[in-house]
Amino acid sequence: MDYHRPTTVNEALALLARLGDDARVLAGGTALAIMLHNRLVAPDALVSLERVEGLRSVEGTPDGGLTLGACVPIAAAAAHPLVRRHAPALAHAYGVVGNVRVRNQATVGGNLAEADYASDPPAMLAVLDARVRVAGPSGERTLSVGELLVGAYETALEPGELLTHVEVPAPAPGLRAAYRKFTSRSSEDRACVGVAAAAALEGGVCRSLRVAVGAACEVPTRVPQAEALAVGQPLTPALARRISEAYAEAVDALDDLRGSAWYRRRVIAVEVRRALEEVAG
Amino acid sequence: MSMHTGAPVGVGVPLLDARERVTGAVPFVGNMRVPGMLVGRVLRSPLAHARIRSLDAAAARAIPGVVAVVTAADLGRETGPVLHYGRNVKDQEVVASKMVHYVGEPVALVSAETEEAAEAALAAIAIDYEELPAVYEALEAAQPEAPRVHEGMDSNVFVHAKLRHGDVDAGFARADAIVEETFTSPVAQQTSLEPHVAIAQWADDALTVWTASQAPFAVRTALAGVFRVPEPSVRVVVPPIGGGYGGKGGMRVELPAAVLAWFSGGRPVRVLLSRAEEFVTVTKHAASITIRTGIRRDGTLTARQITCHWGTGAVVENSAALVRGALVRLVGPYRIGAVQVDSYGVYTNLPSAGAYRGAMSSQATWAYESHTDALAKAIGMAPVELRRKSLIRSGETFATGETLHEVYFHECMEACLAKLGWDAPLAQPGGHLRRGRGVAVMMKSTNPVSRSECRLELGVDGVLTIYTGTVEMGQGTHTALAQVAAGELGLPLERVRVQGPDTALVPFDTATNASRSVGMMGTALLNAAAALRERLAGAAAPLLDLPPDQLSVAGGAVASAGGRSLTYAAVLAGAGLPSLDATGEHATNVGLDPETGQGVGSPHWHQGAGACEVEVDTETGRVRVLRYVGASFAGRVINPDLARLQNDGNVIYGMGPALLEEMVFDAGRVVNPNLSDYQIPSLRDTPDWLEGVCIEHEEGEFHGIGEMTLPPVAPAIANAIEDAIGVRVRALPISAERVLRELDA
Repeated sequence: MDYHRPTTVNEALALLARLGDDARVLAGGTALAIMLHNRLVAPDALVSLERVEGLRSVEGTPDGGLTLGACVPIAAAAAHPLVRRHAPALAHAYGVVGNVRVRNQATVGGNLAEADYASDPPAMLAVLDARVRVAGPSGERTLSVGELLVGAYETALEPGELLTHVEVPAPAPGLRAAYRKFTSRSSEDRACVGVAAAAALEGGVCRSLRVAVGAACEVPTRVPQAEALAVGQPLTPALARRISEAYAEAVDALDDLRGSAWYRRRVIAVEVRRALEEVAG
Repeated sequence: MSMHTGAPVGVGVPLLDARERVTGAVPFVGNMRVPGMLVGRVLRSPLAHARIRSLDAAAARAIPGVVAVVTAADLGRETGPVLHYGRNVKDQEVVASKMVHYVGEPVALVSAETEEAAEAALAAIAIDYEELPAVYEALEAAQPEAPRVHEGMDSNVFVHAKLRHGDVDAGFARADAIVEETFTSPVAQQTSLEPHVAIAQWADDALTVWTASQAPFAVRTALAGVFRVPEPSVRVVVPPIGGGYGGKGGMRVELPAAVLAWFSGGRPVRVLLSRAEEFVTVTKHAASITIRTGIRRDGTLTARQITCHWGTGAVVENSAALVRGALVRLVGPYRIGAVQVDSYGVYTNLPSAGAYRGAMSSQATWAYESHTDALAKAIGMAPVELRRKSLIRSGETFATGETLHEVYFHECMEACLAKLGWDAPLAQPGGHLRRGRGVAVMMKSTNPVSRSECRLELGVDGVLTIYTGTVEMGQGTHTALAQVAAGELGLPLERVRVQGPDTALVPFDTATNASRSVGMMGTALLNAAAALRERLAGAAAPLLDLPPDQLSVAGGAVASAGGRSLTYAAVLAGAGLPSLDATGEHATNVGLDPETGQGVGSPHWHQGAGACEVEVDTETGRVRVLRYVGASFAGRVINPDLARLQNDGNVIYGMGPALLEEMVFDAGRVVNPNLSDYQIPSLRDTPDWLEGVCIEHEEGEFHGIGEMTLPPVAPAIANAIEDAIGVRVRALPISAERVLRELDA
């Protein structure tokens, strides 16, 4: 297996173009190493991003948003002062990924590009309206998290494309967000159900609500009709219950070792409600 | 001659190799490199039950870098390894010849210069299988119409052990209430962090094996049998190992390593199992236990009937002995009028099951201690009161007909209750969280027949070396033995060395298992120390001009009553001896009548208890263990710090099978053979407050504590859950989903 270490995004793109399907992009390697080990993939070449410039910083945008380089380690994103200030719930979602060893190695971009359904950050990024910047043979494009994640372990990235940045827009005024990771087994397990919620509140009234359920389904799932129930309403316990029940009903829950679909629907009803209680304060 | 018991016993000194363990300097077998070492790999069956129609290894043999490819056709010849083997029953093949019986069964072995070449060779071996019907559950496999795991057998039941004590029918007739329940435990993993690993090398018809094993002498015997060579031709060396938990108690990975080495022209071969291979190499027995007890309103237990089916996988290995040994582990530490136990060992098309820390007792205690709470409920008595009334005491007769001595079940339980604050009001956090308390007590046998020898050698430099077959696996027994030796001979601990297992250097020991080492090897060491003191007195007598019986041996010197004394070094120098040595032995030989289970079940009964406080999320079923106390009867504690770690380690380890662990199979294939899909407790799952108690008594002997606080964990938690939310879980693990389903029911 050949091992390439380009130093710029363009060099990386050229390598990917040349090597085609035989190559795999290596960022932190926490996912890829397991896939290689289990022979789920057998590429002829690895294109490592370890030396690529410009993918390792977290920057604030003038309007109060954030740009995270794809190779920012998850632990660094969780601890970064800008992330903690502008998107504390996102910092929290990064902080509960795997364990400290995984967080030090895995990256913000790799986490999205793997499209592991059991991951924590994607649901949070989805409710924060984050977008990913993708560089490719025909230039750059941006996608929403919902557009990027099309299925379990499946993204809308085209061959030869590289996810370079994650952009998190400035929070709307009065935005309160929360991420709840529910593990059904050990405390270091991957989530059985993850719930990200963000509500823009004004004088106790909800101007907008976004809720995404992750880890329980193939991709982070929002239920717009349920979110709409909150608009113009105070987030009362009764309303939180109604919304959470709508999620439990609508989410296409998975069966796996962390829980049956039946169990996950039960937990979704509980955890969506608890997330809404958190954002309602 | 007076005996010296010095300060080192009873003192918490750190593990002798603590620094090495922390810095990674322990010479684990996996870190060893022997010059010329080859990579050994095992090709394994992908099917649970199949006939091998054809096997073609020609292409594999042609791959550059491949040194040996071993198939069944290469075995069972006039010399070299046999094909069939087995610890009790010869139901195993080194590699499968005609049939495979579980997913993971070895079908071919490869040695090669590199991992890549070995890997390519495995992929190049072409096998055509004809799939056959398989059976995975012990209860189902025990049915007459079940597919046979091994061709030509009348039944998949390979052992039916019986215990008959008193008239159970009469007992049930006298009962005011009869409670019958069934409890299940799934197949689980021992999960040593260090996988099975061995390096084998042949030279001049002699085999040397470096291995991570709990049973160096058993491995030697088994390998000598496979190669039809005398035992002294096999040398087994065991450096400190990275955990065993019963899974390293017999010949496993040593076999492919030694067989490959035989065919590799004198080159050493290493076989190191991957985590996935660990999952198909040895497991915890699945168990289904039906327990029925008659009870009178005053708490008197009139009769108990237990039927247990143990799923053993496709090979017996040590399971016949374990299933028989389980008879006495299934009963429970209670005074019961009449007892009947039927313990069935059943073949299934799954990987082999073997000892698992607290072997058979974990499954058994899960059943009988959950059941004790149900019995208490049936007569409206508090669970603790029923235990106070019915736990067996010293001088009473157990279900084996033997009179029990040194019985401390009450003390173990009461110590837990007192420390936990059982009678203190329980604060309920309110909302969806409910708290409860539970307790459990356990009784476990150790090996009925076993033997330990220990040799002590005192050098002219005043350094004492302990030659012991006891394996150091992080439990600290080498440290404990060194403390005992230091105390017995009055030497500072720094002057004591331990030579661990190397069958060419140390005398015989059965195995490091069943929490037997400080009791058995410790006693052998005491005997060796007494003999060495005698030899020292004998050597000093002419130098001090006094008969030996007027000399005392203590504090590193031989002394007369008149105050004349010689250091050990001076005695050896004066007597012109380069060293002085002595060997001590300790053996036990008890047993049960095979038809009735009457006799003596164990030379010593292991005793432990646990009490805990849990919090249940009634909306999700998730259980948190908030506070836990474990107690074990230790006789006399050698090192309180290490004893405490054993108690605590047992509890944390036990929380795995209690709450999380279960090997999941699909058509006999493990679907979670890694530590992400198969979950063990994380440090963040440990109780917020964890305490341990070792019960001692004056003049007590050394007793093992490596398992005592483990079996009570699952039932103590289940009992606390019932106390909290009123539901009873009878299947392990007590997963959040299971609790929620019970809450819904």
